[in-house]
Amino acid sequence: MGVAGVIFDGLLALALVWLAWQATRAADLFHAVVSFIVFGLLMALAWVRLEAPDIALAEAAIGAGATGALLLSALDRLATRDGYHRVLYEPTTAWGFWIPAGGALLGGLTLAAWKLPAPGLGEEVLASLKLSGVDHPVTAVLLNFRALDTLLEIGVLLLAAVTIWSLGRAPSPLVPAMPSPALPALGRLLFPVFVLVAAYLLWRGSHAPGGAFPAGAVLGAGAILMLLAGARPWIRSSEHGPWRWILSLGLAMLLAAAVTGSLSGLAFFEYPRGAAGPMILLLEVAAGLSIALLLFALYLRGEPCEHGYREVGS
Amino acid sequence: MIPETTGPVVLFSLPLAAAIVVFIRPRWSVPVTLGSGGILLATALWVVVAVLRQGPWRQDIGGWTAPLGIGWTVDGLSAALLLLNASVGLAGAVFHAARPAARTPVRDPRFFWPLWLFLWGGLNALFLAADLFNIYVALEFVSIASVGLIGLAGGSAQAAAWRYLLATLLGSTIYLLGVALLYGRYAALDVALLAESVEPELVTVVAAALMTLGLLLKAAVFPLHFWLPAAHGRAPPAVSAVLSAVVIAAAYYLLVRLWFGPFAPLLGPGVATLLGLLGAAAVLWGGLQALLQRHLKMLIAYSTVSQLGYGLLVFPLAAAGAVQLAWTGAVMLVVAHGLAKAALFLAAGAIVLRHGIGRLEALGGDQQGAVVAWVAFAIASASLVGLPPTGGFVGKWWLAQAALATGGYFWLAVLMLGTAFTAGYLWRALQAAMRPGWETEGGFQALSPALGLSALGLALGSAALGLAAPIAARLLDAGSGVVG
Repeated sequence: MGVAGVIFDGLLALALVWLAWQATRAADLFHAVVSFIVFGLLMALAWVRLEAPDIALAEAAIGAGATGALLLSALDRLATRDGYHRVLYEPTTAWGFWIPAGGALLGGLTLAAWKLPAPGLGEEVLASLKLSGVDHPVTAVLLNFRALDTLLEIGVLLLAAVTIWSLGRAPSPLVPAMPSPALPALGRLLFPVFVLVAAYLLWRGSHAPGGAFPAGAVLGAGAILMLLAGARPWIRSSEHGPWRWILSLGLAMLLAAAVTGSLSGLAFFEYPRGAAGPMILLLEVAAGLSIALLLFALYLRGEPCEHGYREVGS
Repeated sequence: MIPETTGPVVLFSLPLAAAIVVFIRPRWSVPVTLGSGGILLATALWVVVAVLRQGPWRQDIGGWTAPLGIGWTVDGLSAALLLLNASVGLAGAVFHAARPAARTPVRDPRFFWPLWLFLWGGLNALFLAADLFNIYVALEFVSIASVGLIGLAGGSAQAAAWRYLLATLLGSTIYLLGVALLYGRYAALDVALLAESVEPELVTVVAAALMTLGLLLKAAVFPLHFWLPAAHGRAPPAVSAVLSAVVIAAAYYLLVRLWFGPFAPLLGPGVATLLGLLGAAAVLWGGLQALLQRHLKMLIAYSTVSQLGYGLLVFPLAAAGAVQLAWTGAVMLVVAHGLAKAALFLAAGAIVLRHGIGRLEALGGDQQGAVVAWVAFAIASASLVGLPPTGGFVGKWWLAQAALATGGYFWLAVLMLGTAFTAGYLWRALQAAMRPGWETEGGFQALSPALGLSALGLALGSAALGLAAPIAARLLDAGSGVVG
């Protein structure tokens, strides 16, 4: 790594710290949200510099994209009430506690990180890669070696959607009318590209960075963009129709795959010999679909309507 | 003959599968939850018997061994907590199914059942997990389900749920920082592997401090208990029961697992005394606050802060040498507390429904329809105070013996004083039943007997734990491989 790289990384680190400070301490909430979105994008860049393209993709799509859209729409809902925007942070009286405590934490972490040998398990993963059914180490870890973690993580997403639904109904109309026709037109134009990119990422996952999480995140972000472009969501809370099935599909399939192992006399979550590759691909497709729809469902900010939505602006 | 490794598979998969089913088909909620709850209770009992018969075992997931793969450990400690979770889960589900729908505080009853089953599954996943990162994911699962369940009560409960979300996420994040450090240092996440390789040096100490801090926040140990009373006091009754009985115990379970496992070399007298002092402060402060409460559910919620403090006395007593006694005593106390506390919350739920108000001074007068609930309250109180022959008595007896054996008279005094507080605040609650009451408007509405009976079942379980003390001791001896 040359001098330019060091300078770039240094600037990146400084920018991240500055943006984090802005996001938490800006007096204007809009300012804070925009800082947070930019923080997400720069963070994705940082992951690229750390040679973790999978995480960079997820960070950009979820950390900056989906979360940013959620925060902006929350801001929009706050605007309809009074007391919005100028949230004045009350000067904390407990600086005497927080500064030493934060300092101690930071100092301890720095000192510890300095001493880390950071051996990791990279060699063990590569040694067992042949048996895993896929060629990409990250996918092998996520859907074979540590598939139980992935099952619970997809469960967390479903659980989060159920929790948000339990808090109340989604607002209707879902988005404010767009003042400009450019974004809606662009959104409709771009959606096929989102679908294509998601499908590509999913297929790539077996041998290169990609897989269910980035693919689902990209597809979900595309759907949110469509929503902002004025498309009325087709997802309903009704018991009839496929939506609840698709939302649960990822968790259900992972659970089924796990139990299949036990039922066929193998360990829990052990794939039958030779079937690991196809099973993982199937699980990736199911998980990707669920993740996309779950992210979209989170963005609805409440339980979707039973039957339909009003047109924007009507 | 079905191998015993099927037990954990059922305990892990069934609640999650049932949660999906009741999410997709809400109208099947009650039969599916009660049916799978029955199976889960039977399976948990079977797992306990299997541990008693053949000792603890470990099973690898996906056919991969640690450090590459994830494993489950089933020993006396995890089996005891799995059984506690199944008992409270089933009793709470019965209570919630039997509540009168019109007067329930639950805002949207459709979402209770999937969240309940998700919480059940998350807790089972946590008690089985033997991998620090898998434990983290399970912790997140439990936290989010708890937040959703608290918020169901609507109104001020949503604010309490929000505070709980922030507190518990902070706890998880701090825990995760520690996990990352340990992985960077030892290239392993498996608890048993780490226990073999951990050395007392800087990175490990920082990691242990972070993980302990995160878990103390989640266990609401004094002075990090600020979020607990509102969250546990305002949630629907069944939710308060499982939160105080099992979710808090889960954080405590992890503390014990870690400090008597990988972090055992770090457990010097200084750390142990510090943790013990936090426990002592919790016992006294929580007890004092419970004495001052005017609302029945808030009184019980503060009692949780106090009772969990006893659990932390295990550290100074074990560090002083009485490992076996302190360990079995503290775990026994936490399990007995779980059953008794869930019984108290369910009984309080039935009593509050009967009187239409939760203020202590309004609970007197005619008790028709709440007699069983008050009986359950009294039995659970006896176990919480520690009257023989209840589980609470046995746990305190073992802890007291550990204190006497090691000359820890200070800890003995804390035990005694805490018991006096407990007797005081529970007596206040029971006394309220005997006073002439307020005239409730609208008269008395018939309640399902299942409300009181679900509480009574748990209360009797907590009492019977004392009679089963020799079996419990044998089970817990089959606990962490480090002990004994």
